[in-house]
Amino acid sequence: MNDDIESRLRNALRRVDPDEGFAERLLAALPEQPLPARVAELRVARPAAPPSRWQRFAAPAALAASLVAAIFLGQQMGAQRYADEQRAGLEASRELMQALRVTSRKLDVAYEAVRDRDAPPARGDDEETRT
Amino acid sequence: MKARIFPCVALLGLMAGPVAAQSRGQIRMPEFPSLADKASESVVVTFDQKLLGFAASWLDEKDPEEAQAKKLVASLTGVYVRSYTFDNDYVYPKADIEAVRRQLNAPGWSRIVEARSKHEQSDVNVFMFVEGDKAHGLAIIASEPREFTIVNIVGNIKLEDLHDLQGHLGVPELGIESGKEAEAPKTEAPRKVAPKKEATKKP
Repeated sequence: MNDDIESRLRNALRRVDPDEGFAERLLAALPEQPLPARVAELRVARPAAPPSRWQRFAAPAALAASLVAAIFLGQQMGAQRYADEQRAGLEASRELMQALRVTSRKLDVAYEAVRDRDAPPARGDDEETRT
Repeated sequence: MKARIFPCVALLGLMAGPVAAQSRGQIRMPEFPSLADKASESVVVTFDQKLLGFAASWLDEKDPEEAQAKKLVASLTGVYVRSYTFDNDYVYPKADIEAVRRQLNAPGWSRIVEARSKHEQSDVNVFMFVEGDKAHGLAIIASEPREFTIVNIVGNIKLEDLHDLQGHLGVPELGIESGKEAEAPKTEAPRKVAPKKEATKKP
């Protein structure tokens, strides 16, 4: 009895090679499985590094530099404007003096005529003055 | 009716504008644009009141000549000079000079000096615009074969100031002491005088 069971078990559990195309059929019979979801790797948050000295003073330094640059440019522009105004002013005053000198020369001629008005007629009649 | 009157008034206003803009004692100065190339030397100065003030503010008060000029121009409202020197005789437009001379026939202007030299073919005329006992303008027209100059000085020219002007910058005294005397010579008969002598400028 026991031998019968044993033999039947051995026979049932013997190694049997699968049929040809068994693996393909098995895979075809399996239901399609969804792809596993992508899981992003979690990073462990690390405490931020303390800002360097340069990083701490960069913004105020930039602001100060801008301010200094603005003051410098303002001074330069002011100086340039003054120089332009001075150049124009000196040129204008030079022209004014020139105009007055021309006036002076012509009045000088008139003066000579007035001065000579009372002088007695001398050599000729080539000059005539009316006042 | 109003529609007709308005354009007439506007037209009169437009016509009166340039006249009103011109100060007493000021003449219309030609620009002589064509002479700039012909002239060997030229002085073209146009100073209205604003520019005159600006120029005067840059005069050096330490310089006696400039200090006196600054004092002088304080009461002036305009200085206009056109002076051209040429290499050839009579290349300048006489018609323009005559046009300036005609302006000086207007009421208010008096010729105080007319000096003419036949020998040198030069002609210098000095005019003053006198209103009441005050002179408001001075004009000089001087012409020679190779040079002509037109000067117009505008402003409240008190004769005392003119006297100051005469004593400086080489400007001589014209023997004018008062406003009345400025007008008086107009009626004086012309007379001939001796030939021109060497100029002596007063300090």
